[in-house]
Amino acid sequence: MKHFIERPRFTCALGGAIATVTALPRAVHILHAPPGCAGNTAWTQMGGCGLQVGGYCGGISIPGTNVQEREVVFGGSDRLEEQIQNTLKVMDADLYVVLTSCVAEIIGDDVDSVIAPFQNDETQIISAETGGFKGNSYLGYEIVLESILKNYVTRGEATVKGRVNLWGIAPSFDVFWRGNLEGLRQLLSRLGLEVNTFFTVDDHLDGIRQASSAQLNIVVSDVLGWQAAEISQELHGIPYLVSPLPIGPSASDLFLRRVGEALSLREALIEEVITTENQRYYKLLEPLTDCYNDMDLQRYAAVVGDSNYATAITAFLENDFGWLPQVIVITDTLIEEQQERIINRLSSLKSGRIPKIIFKGDSTDIAKCIKDHWEGSKTQYGKYVNALSPAFVVGSSLDRPLAQELGAAHLSISFPVSNRAVIDRGYTGYQGGLRLIEDLISAIIVNR
Amino acid sequence: MSYFLLKEPPRREHRLNACIASGGTLSDMKNRKMRCCVPDGERTFTQNNICLLLPALGMMNSIPNSVVLMHGAVGCGSSSHGGNVGVRAGNNHRWGVIKDGTWLSTALNESDVICGGEEKLEAAIREIDEHYKPMIIFVVAGCVPGIIGDDVDGVAQRIQSEVSANILPVHCEGFKTKIWATAYDAVYHAIGRVMLQDTSKNIALKKPEKPTVNLMNVSSMGRVDEVELERLLRALGLEVNIFPVFSKPEKMYAMTHADLSISTCPTHDDYLLKHLQEKYGIPFVLKHMPIGIGNTSEWLRNVAAFFQLENQVEKIIAEEEAELETALQEFKEFFRGKKVFVSAGEFRALATAILLAELGFEVVAVRSFHHDEFADSEYEKLSKITAKDFPLNIANCQPFEEANLIRRVKPDLFLGHMNGNSTAAKLGIATNVIYNVGLQFIGYQGAYQLARRLYRQLTNPGFNQNISKWVQLPYSEDWYQQDPFAHIKQSEGEV
Repeated sequence: MKHFIERPRFTCALGGAIATVTALPRAVHILHAPPGCAGNTAWTQMGGCGLQVGGYCGGISIPGTNVQEREVVFGGSDRLEEQIQNTLKVMDADLYVVLTSCVAEIIGDDVDSVIAPFQNDETQIISAETGGFKGNSYLGYEIVLESILKNYVTRGEATVKGRVNLWGIAPSFDVFWRGNLEGLRQLLSRLGLEVNTFFTVDDHLDGIRQASSAQLNIVVSDVLGWQAAEISQELHGIPYLVSPLPIGPSASDLFLRRVGEALSLREALIEEVITTENQRYYKLLEPLTDCYNDMDLQRYAAVVGDSNYATAITAFLENDFGWLPQVIVITDTLIEEQQERIINRLSSLKSGRIPKIIFKGDSTDIAKCIKDHWEGSKTQYGKYVNALSPAFVVGSSLDRPLAQELGAAHLSISFPVSNRAVIDRGYTGYQGGLRLIEDLISAIIVNR
Repeated sequence: MSYFLLKEPPRREHRLNACIASGGTLSDMKNRKMRCCVPDGERTFTQNNICLLLPALGMMNSIPNSVVLMHGAVGCGSSSHGGNVGVRAGNNHRWGVIKDGTWLSTALNESDVICGGEEKLEAAIREIDEHYKPMIIFVVAGCVPGIIGDDVDGVAQRIQSEVSANILPVHCEGFKTKIWATAYDAVYHAIGRVMLQDTSKNIALKKPEKPTVNLMNVSSMGRVDEVELERLLRALGLEVNIFPVFSKPEKMYAMTHADLSISTCPTHDDYLLKHLQEKYGIPFVLKHMPIGIGNTSEWLRNVAAFFQLENQVEKIIAEEEAELETALQEFKEFFRGKKVFVSAGEFRALATAILLAELGFEVVAVRSFHHDEFADSEYEKLSKITAKDFPLNIANCQPFEEANLIRRVKPDLFLGHMNGNSTAAKLGIATNVIYNVGLQFIGYQGAYQLARRLYRQLTNPGFNQNISKWVQLPYSEDWYQQDPFAHIKQSEGEV
């Protein structure tokens, strides 16, 4: 095994946590960190998150202790206390979240005992241990979510029928998170559900505080948000449902049926919604039929992305769009159990075909594996060559050189996305499938 | 003893008494040297910003045939995703090839923190040498190895003879300095110690026949800015070699063969240029940035004086200034009296403010990221051209002070560093970015291109005006009632 990663497709736990707190409504972070961690996250977002940097409080506006050698030697608790005291005066927020860095955790400051005297009815302040060495930015999202559930959400709320929480999508590091959460909210609202998504512009802290009143927690990831769902089950008694990220009609059909089942909704209602949505989807797709067929727009595909996207996009391409995914590379760091889940997911495509599945996060390795597969699949008899062509690479902006080498079109979806501007575009639900088709085809015909 | 004999360069707080916290006015600055910092505790409230790693990566990621190995947690250096935009453009503008930078991470985890990361680092360097075959491996120490005590220099020394690449250890532990300009010293230190050695290959490099200068660029300059300076220096009959950003490793030694080194930013270059003088006897000019009309002419004069080209340079300057002056006429009436606020690295902020005054703007506030003695003359110039007192703030960003100041001075226009314009933008002010590689800023052409951009932005600042009506900055109303410098601890003896 190699002892380094080339151009990792995430940042550290703290970076993920910073982006997550920025996405919370009216929340402000207090970084117990050396100078640089906020700026590093801002430059990461600037280069990888579809031109979205910060939010209400983000970038270099985030308060922090700017730990120096003195704190490393003598401890940083006093500095943190001073910083919190003044943050409460200068910043305007309804929730403060202290996030720790590598340095703060190694020097061993006891953050909870520093914040305890500040906690009262007027001041909501919680903390999360998000030292960068703990893991990647997806983990940072999970740690913050878990801290909110443990330390901010009230306990003992009465269950409100039809209310659900939705987790599994990490702000910023799913570059299309706003649209993806919104897409699922709209989809579930067709079933009459009230969806608490925590991180969109339509969420508010009161709703998050009362997350314990939900009837069901829905996790749209094979990896993220599981721990949060376990915690909520234990603390709030809320059951949970796990689904892959639903992109396009097939996955959305299944998603709606499973949610309906979990909430014991009327089957007829679910089927009615599914029928209406499919009718709408295919009516909208209908006018593309001429060009899709005449221009021969079917493609062999390589899909490179984090575990959410790699599985969801592969399923969409194969099950809904009639493309041929060949190699799937999953780029986030997974434990064996999570890898098995992904393999199972990708082994149950409608066609029964199983694409080649690779777990790699290193950009050169990723390109090499895909090129090897493309090369290995080629057959040639004299001047007759059967290669995986025409081809398409759905990945990140780092996969452009690979696409060029394969002579393939390319679309950046998974982090980093440096070459697209994203506001609230999303790929979830039926509507999201149509957005994805627009983007894939537009990439093919860019020089038309 | 030369600093270059040490493993790591001194921090600028010590070497230059540089500081980052002061609030006052321009006249305070002009009348006395600033003593702005209480050591290690300059503000009672701070915002997190960047550390020296980020600008250091800006230099390192640009070097052809090199890779950057971050020794730290996996997030350190992910800023390269942003920096890569400039690497791609820089490669394209210089060699017509769009190419990504190559940055790598040892991704230290919890067990490395406990057991140490030296073995992992050593293995990684060997693998990288074999796999990428680069000419340089920058081995960058982040905060974690700095605390757990990994000896990055020791590892480099131990295995250098067994790998083909030159290993350049670069110290970027963010907790060790508040002055991120220490980054430039950190990278120059490594280049000076390893790439400027008198190896047989290096010595074989021929000395140029024509008078030759080292033009020191900075990663905030685009190729367009270099072209402008090359044009002016060539007009004086000089051969120009450009270092260090995007300079090829095999050509770095040529730095030691020049007749003169010319800085384009004293904050950036003093550490290396003093070394080149001490060790190789190369004199240098290190006075100010060639930004603005007067400063560009002055910069050229300083170079020409060294080569005794006084007559030639005056002719060039007269022609350049006359042509530019005519071209600027169509903007000047529009700019006259409009209020401008500037915030950036010290030299950049001051030179830009002087340029804006030359263009007819009224400078109403200036913020510099840090302060050291090199810039004293620029404060003099600024004071002379503006002939008016206004707020001057030394701050490593700290947008909360900026928001408070903007509300008070109500500028029509704000010029800030990259990621430093959103505060003004959300207050509805027209802005222009000071650091965006590719937007021309330097020399006579830079002054003109900036004027064009400002004209355009002031003509319709609708984006910012609209957003300001609907979004709020994250500061309490109470904060705006406070003195903008209320959180700065003044050092003893300061009034």
